[in-house]
Amino acid sequence: MIRRLISRPERLVPAASFLVVAVALAATPAMSGERLTTFDIRNALQGFAQLGLVALGLGLTMIAREFDLSVVGTYALGGMLAVQTGKSSAVLGVLVAVGAGAAIGAVQGGLIARLRLPSLPVTLGTYIALLGLTSAMSGGLSKTYTNSGATEWVDRTVLVVFSPRSLGTLAAFVIAALVLGGTKLGRELRAIGGDRRAARVAGVRVERALVGLFTVSGALAALGGALLSYSYASANPNQGLQPLILSAVAVLLGGVSLAGGRGLPIGLLAGALSVAFIAQIVAITALPDYSTELLYAALLMVVVAIDAPGLRQAVDRVKARATSTPSHQHHSP
Amino acid sequence: MTAANSDHREAAAAARAEEPRPGGGGATAAGRLRWRRPEPLDIGIAVAVLAIVVAGAMTSRFFSLDNGRAILASTASVGITAIGATLVMIAGSAVSLAVSQTATVVAMIFLSTQRLGLTVAIVLALVCGAAVTALQGAIIGFWTANPIVLTIAAGFAIGGVATWISGGATVYPKGTGYKSLDSTPLGLPLAVYVLIGLALLAEWMLRRTTAGRQMYLIGENLPAARAAGLPVGRIVVIAWALFGACIALTGIFLASFNTSANADLGGTLSLDAIAAVLVGGTAIGGGSGSALRTLGGAVLIAAISDLLLLRGFSTGLQLLVKGILVLIVVIAVHLRATRGRR
Repeated sequence: MIRRLISRPERLVPAASFLVVAVALAATPAMSGERLTTFDIRNALQGFAQLGLVALGLGLTMIAREFDLSVVGTYALGGMLAVQTGKSSAVLGVLVAVGAGAAIGAVQGGLIARLRLPSLPVTLGTYIALLGLTSAMSGGLSKTYTNSGATEWVDRTVLVVFSPRSLGTLAAFVIAALVLGGTKLGRELRAIGGDRRAARVAGVRVERALVGLFTVSGALAALGGALLSYSYASANPNQGLQPLILSAVAVLLGGVSLAGGRGLPIGLLAGALSVAFIAQIVAITALPDYSTELLYAALLMVVVAIDAPGLRQAVDRVKARATSTPSHQHHSP
Repeated sequence: MTAANSDHREAAAAARAEEPRPGGGGATAAGRLRWRRPEPLDIGIAVAVLAIVVAGAMTSRFFSLDNGRAILASTASVGITAIGATLVMIAGSAVSLAVSQTATVVAMIFLSTQRLGLTVAIVLALVCGAAVTALQGAIIGFWTANPIVLTIAAGFAIGGVATWISGGATVYPKGTGYKSLDSTPLGLPLAVYVLIGLALLAEWMLRRTTAGRQMYLIGENLPAARAAGLPVGRIVVIAWALFGACIALTGIFLASFNTSANADLGGTLSLDAIAAVLVGGTAIGGGSGSALRTLGGAVLIAAISDLLLLRGFSTGLQLLVKGILVLIVVIAVHLRATRGRR
């Protein structure tokens, strides 16, 4: 029973991490002595909106066994573009940002797919270049966004605990789940991540799928950045690696493996919500900041343990020795 | 899914094994004598160097002793870490995202143990850096854990524990022994000599020692290395331990230079080191690369940044050029490695 669950980590990992974090959030009144309010939930969802779109883009590329490090650069560029071009019309700013993000993603996807380049160094180069471009656009300074109407609108409370920003982020996950679940795209994506050569032989148009994937990932990251800078009423040219690392944590808790071929949008949603809830739990219970880092580290170590084939073999060997059933010894790696 | 995945990896590794190995030391005397068609990477590097020379000649003060010193000095701290990162990348573990945090923690340990004397503080810092990093290497080498996931986790753990112990405060030295590390014999910072010495040592180790040769083999084809009975786990741990010692040295020099250490000391060290290794032409998949070329990559990046700075370009534009340089070299290295197969 347990073995069967562990063999399906794309469901087990997000379900378990979301359950643990949700129970912990519900239990916070015992530590803080105050009731959990709708305000707390709303804050947690705002945190989810902040990293959700980047996590979704990164997660989709990771299912196909690619790693799009540049999302954190596109995130910064999208925020800066939206602030600089969306002074009179917020919608125009978002469109410019998303268009630029999609174009950058398409170029990278084209390079990676056509030349069969490894994605990590390519997207690292793009990330550094985009960071430079964003900084050059603003002279290295934060830019204030003066359209206060847009700032109020994106964060206005809807349905007690939501805002247009968090609802839009949720909608992106729902659309991704419907598209990947309802068409053959989802299976193709996992096939590309699991065994690219076999996918190609089976008739999957790998190149086209990869270009599309990086385009979507770039567009989502730029959208996330644009909405964030509207919300903050300013754009920061360099936010460091933190958004990328947190998104990677969300994706990994979402049951996606860096070995590729595994993962579902609904799992990514659970992962992103888990990360946002952890930050909120630490805020509510007034734990010191470093406990967030230690919690992420502990959760990731569980993911590492589940994902490491060598560790599984070692456990199997120990078990085999304990029960002296040699059949376990030849468990496939 | 695991079986299919391992098949795929074996296939990929087998395909990689057929590639010519740039810088793998395979060139024979006869091969060297034959006229060779210039490779895209060679042309790219030649064009880049030529462009720097021309632009440098048109920039006042670029070709001066002082500026040469400035370039080398700015190479030192990133370069030392990049030498260690080269070993790990050659051995197939790609990258570590815990470098900044490790350097920060080592710097804090180094400064807070100054009372015990300089030698003890250095040894303690080196041992801590090497141990923490070797532990990650052990999980990767023996259990084939994914390096990116593991080092993200390690980065959180190291950063979290450091903030916990230091209380988030800046660490100031309790002694003055560290000041001798900030000296500049013959006008160059001590760190530059350490960098050059380390690069030579690492190059010698990679080419002449059993452990070094085995790092290439493991990075090139892990299943074959396992099948051949190479001590994969042990060699990966050695590569990571040396990487950790290099990170620790960077931390020590950063601490001596800044005379204090806070949580941001490591800065963008993780990615800067990877950029230097990549510009040096090491392939991210492992199995090829050289420490001296990484040194060249680090100097090239520093020289370009310096040139742009002298010509009055902003930090943003310097970053933009650096990113494009990484992209171009990565594409050129890849095209060279796969030429003939495509």
